[in-house]
Amino acid sequence: MPARGPVKKSRQGDDEKLFLVIVLALALVAGIGSWFAAAALSRHDQTPGILPDKERTLGEFGLTDEAGRTVTRAEFGGKILVVSFLFTSCSLTCPEVTKHMAEIQGLTASNADVRLISLTVDPRTDTPSVLAKWGARFGADTNQWHFLTGPKPVLYGLIGASFLAQDNGDPFNSMPGNFTGTERIAVVDQRGRTRVYFDGLRSDTPAAVVAEIKRLRREP
Amino acid sequence: MKPFLFLAAALVVLAGCKRQPSVTPVATATNQTYAVRGVVQAIASDLTKATIHHQAISGYMMEMTMDFPLQNTNELRGISPGDEITFTLVVGENDDWIRNIRRVGHVAEAMTNSGSMFHSMIPELKPGDRLPDYELLGEDGKRIHFSDFHGRALAFTFFFTRCPLPDYCPRMNKNFAETQKLLATNATTNWQLLCISFDPDFDQPEMLRSYATFYRGNTADRWRFAAAATNVLAELAPRLDLMIMHEGASISHNLRTVVLDPNGIIFRQFDGNDWKPQQLADAVLQAAHLSVP
Repeated sequence: MPARGPVKKSRQGDDEKLFLVIVLALALVAGIGSWFAAAALSRHDQTPGILPDKERTLGEFGLTDEAGRTVTRAEFGGKILVVSFLFTSCSLTCPEVTKHMAEIQGLTASNADVRLISLTVDPRTDTPSVLAKWGARFGADTNQWHFLTGPKPVLYGLIGASFLAQDNGDPFNSMPGNFTGTERIAVVDQRGRTRVYFDGLRSDTPAAVVAEIKRLRREP
Repeated sequence: MKPFLFLAAALVVLAGCKRQPSVTPVATATNQTYAVRGVVQAIASDLTKATIHHQAISGYMMEMTMDFPLQNTNELRGISPGDEITFTLVVGENDDWIRNIRRVGHVAEAMTNSGSMFHSMIPELKPGDRLPDYELLGEDGKRIHFSDFHGRALAFTFFFTRCPLPDYCPRMNKNFAETQKLLATNATTNWQLLCISFDPDFDQPEMLRSYATFYRGNTADRWRFAAAATNVLAELAPRLDLMIMHEGASISHNLRTVVLDPNGIIFRQFDGNDWKPQQLADAVLQAAHLSVP
């Protein structure tokens, strides 16, 4: 019995060692695997930025904000701008994009170099007071986030030149004005260049916009 | 299975109809004026507007090509495409126009490609403009036209039957029901109401009939329901600034209600849902009293 003890113990020890090795190996495999998986997933999950179809810069404009105040390009000089498009009668796309704009505002609340702009494509309906109610619904801080309306030629001219292409597709499958990509959120750099768009319907877009803002600040 | 499908569709559509915020016009104290320089691209045959490629208007608008209306059509006499002009752009509370047109030169190439284009291929109509005639499919399955109602003041609005929330399409139809009651007590009889669906595939005549009966009853002579085909809407909607956007099974849309006089000229437009049946009835009666063709 005593002789068998150590033998048994030794065999037991071998089993334990083997077990430990297997566990470690499994853990290693699982660890490496999950690291690869996470890397792959994060690469897949990274919100793809959409580059402008051509060189686009923020043009001159004179528009009216949700408080009825005249707003021109001049007051955004040197700022990074986050721009979205909406009409308040729109019930699915626009609330979703505006919700993400509100998240971006939350993430950039203390950033004096960042301004948010939402441009309506339905100015006859979206008067300043209608836009003020829309902004309030999403908790907009109108010191940082401007909802702009005005004459349709000015609005459409600005959107068409500085942000979105127009096409001749089905006029009822996109926002009014025949613009393509009205669900996008555009980022304009400190020099007024439209740099990149993100899909305003994606929930990871706010984080991507904030990352882009940080990247723009590092630019010489 | 079918009831569940219907329920699912109703839920989706429920999300598509929402409370329209009330519209309060913003008063602008005075007209803004801007000095502008540009090249005339085209002139309307009735001299009421010119397409101008203009330079940037400082503090207002970037360089682009667009249509400018005129109040004094004499201003365009002697001006032709290719002329370089200076003019004053007047921006009022509800509209804009140009004046003080001076010819300062002529360029050989009228069309330039620089600057963006805001070309209202289908111009938005204003009170005083004639609504072109369009064909609609009536609730009785027969084709009808806006011109069928010439001789009467015609009030029309847009809706779709799957839109169930109270402040949207149903409010339009309830307002029309009230308007009909108000008008029926009046001695003036040359008036007509018309509700037009922008969902022609779903709103077939049978669907329109049952919907109409709910709001109006069976008497269809003074208040008709119809659907506009997509190709008609493609022209009619931009003329009236009616905005329609298909979002999955739902349709997002703004609200436009129009009163035509007995000659088919736009007499008044009501935006949004903030107007009262009495206002619409008054506008219809005023329009009805205008000269009959």
